[in-house]
Amino acid sequence: MANILETRDLTYAYTSRQEDPSLDSVSVGISEGVRTVILGANGAGKSTLFYHFNGIFKPKSGEVLYRGKPLEYTREALSVLRNEISVVVQNPDEQIFSATVEEDVAFGPMNMGMERDEIERRIQHSLFKVGMEDYRYRPTIQLSYGQRKRVALAGALATDPKVLILDEPTAGLDPQMSQEVIELVEELISAGTTVIISTHDVDLAYSWADEIHVLRRGKLVYSGKPEPFFEDRVQTALAGLVLPHTFSVNHSVQAIRGLPEAPFPRTNSQMLCKMLPDCDAAGKIRLIPVSDSLPECAGEGRVGIYGSNVRRLFRAAGMTPDFHFNAVEHCLMEAVSGRDAVLYCDESVRAAVLERIQSMEQFGKCVEVVM
Amino acid sequence: MSEQTQMDTLAYSSRMLSWAPLGKFLFVIAVLIVNIMTSSMLVPFVTLAIGLILMAYSTNFKIPFFVGLALAEALLILAIGAGIISITGDKADPAIWDTNLLWFDIYMTADSFNKAWLILFRGVAGMSVMLAFATSTPIPHLSQALRQIRMPREVSELVVLIYRYGFLLLERMESMWDAAHCRMGFNGFMNTMKTTASIAVGIFTSSSNMADKAQIALDCRNYQGFFPVYNSPPKVGVKWIAFTAAVFVLIYLFGIHTEGWINMAKLFFGEAI
Repeated sequence: MANILETRDLTYAYTSRQEDPSLDSVSVGISEGVRTVILGANGAGKSTLFYHFNGIFKPKSGEVLYRGKPLEYTREALSVLRNEISVVVQNPDEQIFSATVEEDVAFGPMNMGMERDEIERRIQHSLFKVGMEDYRYRPTIQLSYGQRKRVALAGALATDPKVLILDEPTAGLDPQMSQEVIELVEELISAGTTVIISTHDVDLAYSWADEIHVLRRGKLVYSGKPEPFFEDRVQTALAGLVLPHTFSVNHSVQAIRGLPEAPFPRTNSQMLCKMLPDCDAAGKIRLIPVSDSLPECAGEGRVGIYGSNVRRLFRAAGMTPDFHFNAVEHCLMEAVSGRDAVLYCDESVRAAVLERIQSMEQFGKCVEVVM
Repeated sequence: MSEQTQMDTLAYSSRMLSWAPLGKFLFVIAVLIVNIMTSSMLVPFVTLAIGLILMAYSTNFKIPFFVGLALAEALLILAIGAGIISITGDKADPAIWDTNLLWFDIYMTADSFNKAWLILFRGVAGMSVMLAFATSTPIPHLSQALRQIRMPREVSELVVLIYRYGFLLLERMESMWDAAHCRMGFNGFMNTMKTTASIAVGIFTSSSNMADKAQIALDCRNYQGFFPVYNSPPKVGVKWIAFTAAVFVLIYLFGIHTEGWINMAKLFFGEAI
């Protein structure tokens, strides 16, 4: 797949007296539509790299390319670039400038010089996506940290970027909200946005990423699929990271059983699937894609919901699902355990959900999907 | 929640939030000016009534404790000031009370006594009107209103940024304050002084760090050199100007008509004065 963003021998130092540059000859390629994680310990240079992607920092040497073209650092060119590449910084307080939620979400679109009707549509859409539509007129100072984080994300979504860069998107969030953010990211990917996440949360990186790029003290030490990196224990430790929980458990259990580690499960359901005896029959998942209205539930079993639209429709109907967050994983756990489940999902993420369910086959269980 | 945050919360939940901020501002300024244009003792009471009614309406007839406390604090400060004015009368006039206290020469005249009361009443009345405005107008609304009267954009944007970052710094200061308490930073006077100074330095350093990060975040959001406004508050119309002018004239005429009606010195010291 073509690189949407690329750096070639990128070197950057904050001051001329800095002995070790913050980024040292970093050459990295971000493929379009691929779930990418920039992994590294604190101070590894993740944020510095991000700020090169949207032209905030100019390399001391080397170059940054967007869609194969080197970045231009003129005011006009940067303005166009930043309309396409949006960065959500780690601390929402650094990103929220306006007094009310509505004003802050409108900030980006207004800077882009959009028509009022379009701005209005984008405010509604992005606040709905992050579940903050009821807070539209609230002063930003009255919001909790999690709510501010959502507003910061809505502000980025309102610009409808081609590339969305999230710096530690789950830091400081409770587990449910972290799941919600990842769900939202999945929706964006399904809609064609390339999402790059920076994190030191190895569990998140391992379960979510197609590709990881690992930074250590400003140097790129690994690029590729997550498994080979975590197999190298020394490299993992030197990068200031630990093994992901699922990876670690798989390693230990398979060692006891004397079996090969591959295929590597990334989620608990995949792990369970791999561990259970082959004779156990899997349950079925009734998948109900939803666009405008909630269809009647025709299946049996516990119910999960996935996607912002479904979430809104359930709330409007006063219905309470069994699995409000991380529903795909929960439904898969049910199915692997031999029970049926019902999964309502947004039409836009149907393909991604099906892909996820079908991935269970490589771990020895075929979960039947009923549409 | 700090008092500033409470005030902001109150302003955003005010029933007068949707009124034109410039209209409210104009009205308050007019009332404050007319409050001091005549020497009638009754005008401050009218002003006070206007302030209290507006504040009660703005806060849905629930005046919060901290607003009451602010009024009480103001009253105390004004009372001290008025007390000093009353005892420093013109020695050419006959004294109603003349004594020495330590190295102070206390000389109270009927005029100084009346003037002190008038200043006290005016001050309290003015405070109530200003609080009514503050509890119904968030700072960003005021800033946007300033743009409507062609105030330079840089000024109004600075107001918004100071407002926004002021709260963040206050939040940070509160956290530092609590952390210092946890580490017994306020045990003893000298310790308290040292801790307070350290917090002040910490806040100063934080503010510069915050400014650096804010610049990066602004660039990330494609900042074009000004803060665009999506929803401007209502503009001040002819009705506001006419209403304000009418109230101004009415209170002024009332003040002229009632000058000398109340003589506080006579009330306190009898007809002999």
